[in-house]
Amino acid sequence: MNQRSDVLTLEAVGKSFGTTTVLRDISLSVASNEFLTILGPSGSGKTTILRLIAGFEAPTTGRIMLDGADISQMPINRRPFNTVFQDYALFPHLSVRRNVGYGLMVRGVPKAEIGPRVEAVLAIVGLQDYALRLPRELSGGQRQRVALARAIICEPRVILLDEPLAALDVALRAQMCKFLKDIQRRLDIAFVFITHDQQEAIAMSDRIVVMRDGRIEQIGGPEELYGFPASRFVAGFFGENNLIDGVVRAIDGARCEVETPIGPLWGVTCGPAAAVGAEVHLSIRPEALVPGATEGHRFLVRDAQFAGPTTLIEAQGVEAPEVTLRLRLPSGGTRALPSVGDVVAIGWSEADARVIAAEGSNG
Amino acid sequence: MKRHSGLFDVALGALALVSLGIIYAPLAVVWVFSNWQPVRVRGALQLAPFSWDSYVALTRNADILGALGTTLLVGLVSMLLALILATTFAMYYWRTVGVSRQIMQALVFLPFLLPPIVVGLSLLIAFRELDATRGAFTIVVGHTVLLVPVVYRLVLTRLNSLSPSLTEASLDLGASHCQTFYHILLPQLGSALLAGALLGFAISFDETMVTLFLSGSTSTLPIRLWSMMRLGFVPEINALATLVVLAAALATAVFGVMQLPGKRGAR
Ligand SMILES: Nc1ncnc2c1ncn2[C@@H]1O[C@H](COP(=O)(O)OP(=O)(O)O)[C@@H](O)[C@H]1O
Ligand SMILES: [Mg+2]
Repeated sequence: MNQRSDVLTLEAVGKSFGTTTVLRDISLSVASNEFLTILGPSGSGKTTILRLIAGFEAPTTGRIMLDGADISQMPINRRPFNTVFQDYALFPHLSVRRNVGYGLMVRGVPKAEIGPRVEAVLAIVGLQDYALRLPRELSGGQRQRVALARAIICEPRVILLDEPLAALDVALRAQMCKFLKDIQRRLDIAFVFITHDQQEAIAMSDRIVVMRDGRIEQIGGPEELYGFPASRFVAGFFGENNLIDGVVRAIDGARCEVETPIGPLWGVTCGPAAAVGAEVHLSIRPEALVPGATEGHRFLVRDAQFAGPTTLIEAQGVEAPEVTLRLRLPSGGTRALPSVGDVVAIGWSEADARVIAAEGSNG
Repeated sequence: MKRHSGLFDVALGALALVSLGIIYAPLAVVWVFSNWQPVRVRGALQLAPFSWDSYVALTRNADILGALGTTLLVGLVSMLLALILATTFAMYYWRTVGVSRQIMQALVFLPFLLPPIVVGLSLLIAFRELDATRGAFTIVVGHTVLLVPVVYRLVLTRLNSLSPSLTEASLDLGASHCQTFYHILLPQLGSALLAGALLGFAISFDETMVTLFLSGSTSTLPIRLWSMMRLGFVPEINALATLVVLAAALATAVFGVMQLPGKRGAR
């Protein structure tokens, strides 16, 4: 990676509609060629962030900066950003060609120049043969591409995409994921992408902003969020997870010892530092658990679900029945899989155990 | 496939036919009288042989033609004014929030809800205070007041059915508010404006009550016909009525064709 240069920065941005506060203290920056994803459940404020950046809404507090200059008051049509709307918002009475050329036409670009540029952009999104169609004569995936073409022809600094894949069926979604990522690399501009789907986020993003109730819960790369979730919310949002409740007993640098129903366990602290006596969760990914380890905790296998390349095993503590662990093991591994009713010793590497503050104990 | 519906459908069809017959019979009579003029022979009604006489007479009746001209002019001008004003009001309501737009809407609707006699009288008093000579101009003002709420309702309904992201997308792509209105909203409003124009013209065409107060020495067609009732109708009235019905039917047909699905937009 070369030197990071931020094109867009949000500084402590807050947004209220009347008395309801929708966003609080949103600070983030977007590098000039970054694929940044805003991830969060429905109602967490993702669309509102996008609308603030695009200029459809003005922030109640804080500033929005473009190349270091405050643009909070800049009108929508002067901002070098373009949006791909959730419902595509194609102009129903204009052909694909006129939809895509619209941004150039209203800027007064000569007709002779618009034609070739529209052709070029339609070629990028693979819609050369659809130039004369009306939006209603296109499939969902094609409309999506028109919406994207209409945005990229304006050569914006940032493209804003609001859940563009939500309306597509599963097979098409995977294809469009790859397509969007390819285009972003090819154009080498910043994409701010909204989704509530963590798989989409992991597959495409350079960095992910996890939103919850109008706040940023965590910002980081996909591996970072998966491996070092700073909160129980993030830990639960990215894939399956095992959470064992406990209380901090001792702290040793970035490690701490947690008293749990299955005994004292060491783990690596994520997020804000824990204090002795604090309630925490110990989080271990299902694929990090190893059965049949020589030293480990004894668990009774309750259930085994075959899922193609992997098998999901559910096991209950023998000494501590309140603890249930889920293991994901390779189905065709060299070692035989434990079967239901077996008692196995389950172990893991200490580096795979993360200590996460319990809900409510960190404000 | 339809089943068990024979008798019921026949009954429905018969009822529809009879009702339409009752509605259209007078029109048919007018048309018949326009070509076969009724004459009384020793008190009994008889029809003269086929002729275009009443139509020819119509072209020579400066009185009626003048009134018709005024009616067409007033209808056209007040329709255009109503389209412009109603679109402005509807856009204001659509784009803003708060009390002011509610007050504006109430004021726009009020003349439509008030009895025409009140609207006519108050306009008459106002014009008299302003020393405005009554004539085509004052009639246009009166008609516009009546048409605006009708067109307003049509335009606003259409605007409300549009996705807000359409305007946002246009602004987002760099268009000004004016460009957005011209390139995006206006084409979307097309059918509502056409319906408003036809309806507005039709209302203006036969508006009588308010016009009576505002016409002064100028006559519109309804006023002219109304005053003729005391003196008895001339034969050319049958020709005129037939032509008006034909024009209305034509306009309705054109409108219907334009509303047909599958019509292709601009490329
Ligand atoms: N114009 C508005 N007025 C009032 N509340 C709003 C408005 N827009 C969004 N909200 C509220 O803000 C919250 C976040 O909305 P949104 O940004 O659309 O979330 P997301 O896109 O993550 O689903 C929701 O609770 C929503 O009801
Ligand atoms: Mg949303």
